[in-house]
Order: sequence, then C-alpha cells, then structure tokens
Amino acid sequence: MNIQDNYQKNKKNIFFSENKDIQTHRKKLINIFENDGFNKKNNESLKNINLKNFIDFKYRYLISEETSVINNNQENSYSIVSVNGQCSSFKDDKIEITKILDEDYNDFSKNNTIENNDHFVNLNSLFLNSGFKIVIKKNNNIKIKISNIITDDNLTIFQKNNYICEEGSSLNLIEEYENKNNSTSNILNVIKLEKNSQLNHFLIQDNSPNHNLIITSHSSCKKDSTYTQKVYNFSEGYVRNFHYSELIEANSEADLQGIFFLKDNNTSNNKTFVKHLAEDCKSNQVYKGILNDRSKATYFSNTYVDQVAQKTEGYQLSKGILLSDNASYFSKPELKIYADDVKCSHGSTIGPIDENAIFYLRSRGMSKIAATKILISSFINEELSSIDNAQMSEIIQKKLVRYLSKIK
Amino acid sequence: MNSETLNTLDSYSKNKYKYGFVTEIDDEKPKKGLNEDTIKFISLKKNEPEWMLDWRLKAYSKWKKMKEPKWANLSFPEIDYQDIYYYSAPKGFEKKPKDLSEVDPKLIDTYNKLGIPLEEQKVLAGVAVDVVFDSVSVATTYKGELEKLGIIFCSIGEAIQKHPDLIKKYLGSVIPPGDHSFSALNSAVFTDGSFVYIPEGVKCPMELSTYFRINAENTGQFERTLIIADKGSYVSYLEGCTAPKRDDNQLHAANVELIALEDAEIKYSTVQNWYPGDEDGKGGIYNFVTKRGLCAGKNSKISWTQVETGSAITWKYPSCILKGDNSIGEFYSVAITNNFQQADTGTKMTHIGKNTKSKIISKGISLGKSQNTYRGEVSFLRKADKARNYTQCDSLLVGNQCGAHTVPYIDSKNNTAVIEHEASTSKINEDQLYYCRQRGLSHEEAVSLIVNGFCKQVLQELPMEFAVEAQKLVSISLEGSVG
Repeated sequence: MNIQDNYQKNKKNIFFSENKDIQTHRKKLINIFENDGFNKKNNESLKNINLKNFIDFKYRYLISEETSVINNNQENSYSIVSVNGQCSSFKDDKIEITKILDEDYNDFSKNNTIENNDHFVNLNSLFLNSGFKIVIKKNNNIKIKISNIITDDNLTIFQKNNYICEEGSSLNLIEEYENKNNSTSNILNVIKLEKNSQLNHFLIQDNSPNHNLIITSHSSCKKDSTYTQKVYNFSEGYVRNFHYSELIEANSEADLQGIFFLKDNNTSNNKTFVKHLAEDCKSNQVYKGILNDRSKATYFSNTYVDQVAQKTEGYQLSKGILLSDNASYFSKPELKIYADDVKCSHGSTIGPIDENAIFYLRSRGMSKIAATKILISSFINEELSSIDNAQMSEIIQKKLVRYLSKIK
Repeated sequence: MNSETLNTLDSYSKNKYKYGFVTEIDDEKPKKGLNEDTIKFISLKKNEPEWMLDWRLKAYSKWKKMKEPKWANLSFPEIDYQDIYYYSAPKGFEKKPKDLSEVDPKLIDTYNKLGIPLEEQKVLAGVAVDVVFDSVSVATTYKGELEKLGIIFCSIGEAIQKHPDLIKKYLGSVIPPGDHSFSALNSAVFTDGSFVYIPEGVKCPMELSTYFRINAENTGQFERTLIIADKGSYVSYLEGCTAPKRDDNQLHAANVELIALEDAEIKYSTVQNWYPGDEDGKGGIYNFVTKRGLCAGKNSKISWTQVETGSAITWKYPSCILKGDNSIGEFYSVAITNNFQQADTGTKMTHIGKNTKSKIISKGISLGKSQNTYRGEVSFLRKADKARNYTQCDSLLVGNQCGAHTVPYIDSKNNTAVIEHEASTSKINEDQLYYCRQRGLSHEEAVSLIVNGFCKQVLQELPMEFAVEAQKLVSISLEGSVG
C-alpha cells in the first residue's frame, strides 16, 4: 500500500486530521513522497535501510487500556510510564504535562528551519497518532525518567513530544526504550531551551530484534542554555538516531554524544547536526561504535557555522571498531563554515582493536577474548565514567556486560 | 636566432595554417554546438581511424542521456553545450593581441612577479607571435633522449595513429566514458592531450611536461591525457603552468588517466592558474576535470600533487584505485580561492588490494567571498586486508565573507583496515601574525608567510622548479585581499 492510501484509510486514527492548516501541510508532504519519495540514490541518509518496512507498512494503532502513570515519588523527581506514546495530563507548580495540540504541530511545521527534508520526520508528521508536551517551569530543578512501553505487537507509533525548559530551569531527563514486540516507533522530540536553562538528556535504547526505533530530535538553544544528549544504543533491532540542534542565541552549547553496540545483522543509522547561528557558542559531537558480525552502521556529523557566528567552537569525533570481517561502517564528518573566527575540527577513525594492546594483555596471561573485552570497555570508558547517576551507570554497565558476553 | 630556425618555424606555421583551413573544411569556419556531425568533424580533422570515431559516438550517445552531477557545493549558471566551439578555432580566427602593450597590464605585472622571461610572456598572453623563441630545438633534444629509452611521449592524436594497440587497450579503462556526464563529454569531443608510455624497467630521466612537446601550442579545452607506466618504471609528469594563461574557452573538461603496472610509480603534479574571473566574479573558467589513477599491479604507486589557484569554478577529484596488493596512493593539494571563486576539490581512494596504503593532505585557503570545499572519499572494500589511510584536511579562512567546508566520506568494510581522518578549520593565528609583524613584516607579508608555511607540506612534494614558482604563486593569490 502506498503512503497516500495508507493515510486516507486510517485518517480517523490520526491526530488533527480535521484541522485545515494541517491538512494542507500534509498534502504537501504526500506530494513530496510521491515526487521524490524514498530515492536511495540521491539520499545517503537512507543508506543501509530496509525501506520496505517504512514505506509499505501496515498502519495500526491502539489506545491502550493500560493508563500511563506519573509518580512524584521524591521531591523534584518524577517517573513517567508512557503507554503507546501517550501520557495522561499532570500539573503541579513545577511541571506541566499535556497532550500534544494542533498548535504544537503547526509551530513545528512552520518554524522548523533546521531540516525539512528528513523523510522520517515527514512520515511522523503525516501519521501522527500520539505524543505529549512537558513544560518545566521557571527556575526549577527537575529529574524525570520516562519509560516508553508498547502494549501490543505490530503497532506503528508516530509520536511527537515537546519539551520546553523555561528560563533558568534545569532538567535531567532519562528516556528508556525497551520493547520486546514487533512494533515500529517513529518518535520526534522537539526541545526548546529558554534562556539560561539546561537539559541533560539520556536515551537508553534496548529493543528486541524485530522492533524498529526511529528517533529524531530537534533542539533549539537560547542564550546561555546548554543541551546535552547522550545516546546508549544496545538495541538488537534497527535504530535510527538523528539529532539536530540549533544554537540560536549567544553563548549556548550543544553536546551530542552517542555509543552504539551492534551485532548480528543489525543496522544503525546515526546523524548529528549542529547549526551555529549566534556568537560564542560551543558544540561537540562524539559518536563511538562497536560493530560485530554482519552489522552495519552509518554516522553523519555536521557542523554548520553561519557568517554571524564568530568565536564558534565546534568539534566532532567519530570512532568505530570493527570486530568482524563482515561488519561495515560509513562515516561522513562534515564542516560547513562561513565565519572566519572559529575553531572547528573533526576526527574520524575506523579500525580493528589495536593488536599491540591485545598482545600486551595476552603476554600478561589474559585470554584473547578477555583482552578484547577489556579493550572495548576502555574504548568507551570515557563516556561511561561521565555518567553521574549511579543507578543509570549500573543499568548501562549491565547492558555492556551482556553485549560483551556475546563476543566470541 | 639564426635564419635557418626562423625559416623552419615559418614554414611549420604556414603548413599548419594550410592544414587547418584549406584541406578538409575549405572556407568553413568551425561551428558552435554539439551533435554527431561535430564529432565526425573532429574525428575527420584529426584523421582518426574508424574505431576511434565509433568510440566517440558511443560516448556521445551516453552523454545525451546524462545529467551533470549536482552534488558539488557549487553554484553556476546552466552550461549551454550548444554555445561552445568543440574544435579550437584555427590560427588567425580569433583576435589576438598584437603585442604585450595590448595585454591587460595586471597580467603582465603577475608575469613579472613570477619572473617569467619576456618571450615566454608573449606566448602565455596569447600574443600572435609566429616564432616561439628556441623552445622547439630544446624540445627536440629532449625528445631524442626519450626515444633512446623507448619512452613514448606525444600528443594523444599522434598516439591514436601510431600506437593504436596501447590506446585501444587503455583509453577509457580507468575513466569509462559513461562514468559521468563530463567524462562522456570529454570522450566524445577530446581534441588534444598527452600520451605517455614508459616501457618496462625504465626510469624516466626528466620531468615530462607538455612544455616540451612541440605541438603543445594549443592544449585545448577538452584535454585527454593517458599515462601508462609499465612494470618497474617511473615517471614524473607536470601539468599546467604557474603563469596565468589567457584562454578564451570558458568550459574545460579534461580527463586524465594514469595506469601503473607492477612496481611502477607515477607522480603527477599540477599547477592550475587559469583566469578566475574579475573582482566581481564575472567571467572566469569553469574547470570540470576528471583525474583517476589505477594502481593495477603489485607495489605500484601513484601520487597526485596539485596547486589550484585559478578558475572561477574548480570541480576536481584526482583519485586512486588501489587494486594491486601493497600499492600506494597519495594526494597532496593546496586550493586557494579568492574573490568569487568556488572550488570543490578532493580525492577518492578506493582500497581493493591487500596492504594498500593511502595518504591525503589537503589544505584549503579561502579569501574574499569565495567558497572552498574539500570532498574526499576513502573506502576499504572487503578484501582490503591491512589497508591503511591517513587523511588530514585543514582549512584557513581569511576574511569573514568566505566559506570553508569539509565533506569527507569514510567507508570501511574490512575489520583489519585502519583509517584515520582529521580536519581543522580556523583563521590565521593572531599570535603568529603578531610575531611576524613585530619583526618588521607588513601585514600582507606576514599573512603570505604564514599561508606558505601552512601549505608547505604540500608544496614540498612538487618538483623543485615548480615548488619555487608555486610559493610565489601562493603569495600572489593572496594579494589585495588581506589587511
């Protein structure tokens, strides 16, 4: 079934299909799909993807009987269980959670300046069927943990979440994606950081082999704000992490980091993009990957520095370890610079584990596998040791041990 | 100059005139536009055998179905292929300046700075001189020496006549005519270029350059160069000239193919300094070049060195296919863009064989309102065991209206291959500038010195004479935009 038919048939299940503005926008999107569609030849971001799963899918969405849970167990700390992308409303003097509204949709479709050509984001807008909005009120320091649960097999979740950190607020956000059913989630996070706010965003991804996760984020940072994102991808199913960040006012910072662990036939596509539109901003993009068996990964990083964005510092680093003959890694670290007073760099390495290091460890009595495991752990140690949350650190260590135990 | 030489040259130029005008075309002036007739005309004029014409026509039919590659970071108006002469006009057809006083004084100024002798200046500026001082006899001396060693060095047209076996075997083997639209265009209409064949085990004793080829008078806009280094041989080839060359053709689409067999080494150096357009970005040459080398045999080596300062648009990716085991590919590049110039240049290293190594050093300098892009691809195929790549691409920005971009593609399919890539972009270091100024250098001199230092790693790869001129060229390219 093509995309248009799919949309027409399931219209009533899709958010805002009555809204005139949104209808016109969606018509445009359908046109884009029909004209250029998913043309792999001219779109390297589609490399290695099995497109059939995403173009020719069977749309199915259920509002679950299980309701989402919001707990305010400790002061300033909340835990949320979102079910099939939905979350019930909640309000206190620090945070406010509501459903996503058509105005949020319009706000995104009209004001999205960073990337308009991402097909998966367009699919998300077209089939939108869930999502919520969280506002962190001024000058609050909040911790939130969100577990995303999907209740049934073969669901297609198209979810749009808005996060707004008001002036002077600080949010520590942990999102968990651990699903065992054969569903597909296409999630778009729209993140807005007001003046002097801060967001530490952790994404832990650990899905079963038949679960597809497509996660995209668009963050924009105003004056003196900082956005830090850390992605830990242990999934056995397909994961697409595309994260865009815009530094729109002076002295803001974006830090996008990720680690992925792949094995078997798994594929992962990653992209980070930072657009510097104001002076004195800093950005950092670091991705590390370990690829075993026949796994494939791509990583695109991109720093764009506008003419006005003087005194920019933008760094990129991409590192990949290939453990097997059949693994492949593609990386494209890109710099586009239009201002002269900048310090920008990128580095990229791909290779096997250092044989000298293995030899050193083996000569001290370790088996080859034990040596390999130690070297992999040390390869990502920097990222792991920077986690300041003891509970999370433990979760990730466990997942790492699980991954390492499969290495032969 | 003695009268004998004068006479010889006189008759030579007259002969050519006769050949170009009277024989086949009578009073017909070359027509604009590209169609099968144009190709037949070119082929006929060059007196080519049938198979060559077929080859050209095949390429043309491919070209018709193709579109220009659009992925480069360049913007230029649509090229009207029907508004171009595909066969360079015969002598006397174009208006040429009568003497140096009619030539743009700025050009002369540049020549003087580069230290080019007066006679040579005339040739470069396209002044209608009938006698090209003494270079002809120089060339013949060298030619004799090369012949003794069995080296074939002639124009591609001559090679098609005299060495059809080699041409049939190798032409288009590295850059297939159907590779992309510019390679197809070149294959269909190429008119001139060099052919070099180095026999087994021969080390070419001198740097080969079109300068020494007698009929290099008009290199043509669709140049085709083919260099074959047989087993165990070595050759170093120089292309271009540090001096800015007057040229009426706006579109240039050259193809250069290199083939290195077992244990052979080819070193290819280019200095490109074509007319970049005026300060407002008007005019200037569009340079769409395809250069590709094939390390076909074991232990072979191909090394590209380029200094790109000219052309309004540079679209150029000298690449290496490392097919033979232990083969080596190298790429050294300096690209300087000023005013409204746009350069999208880089390389492609495809590692196929085992233990193949490649090294990429690219330095981009943007000034004025120019855009400078490095675009490079390094790929390790599945069988490229223990292959190794090191890439370094640095950009320097001078002024706040230019852009410097880096677009590397890195693809590894082998887990024993190691790839390292680093790049940085920054402006000229204030401390270095301060240090130089404190020691009495002017701002411009200081910038020039720092930029030369920045490029050193690449310039030192150039052959000696070239390197000295290239350094001056770098300084000249910076003029007027600093401070």
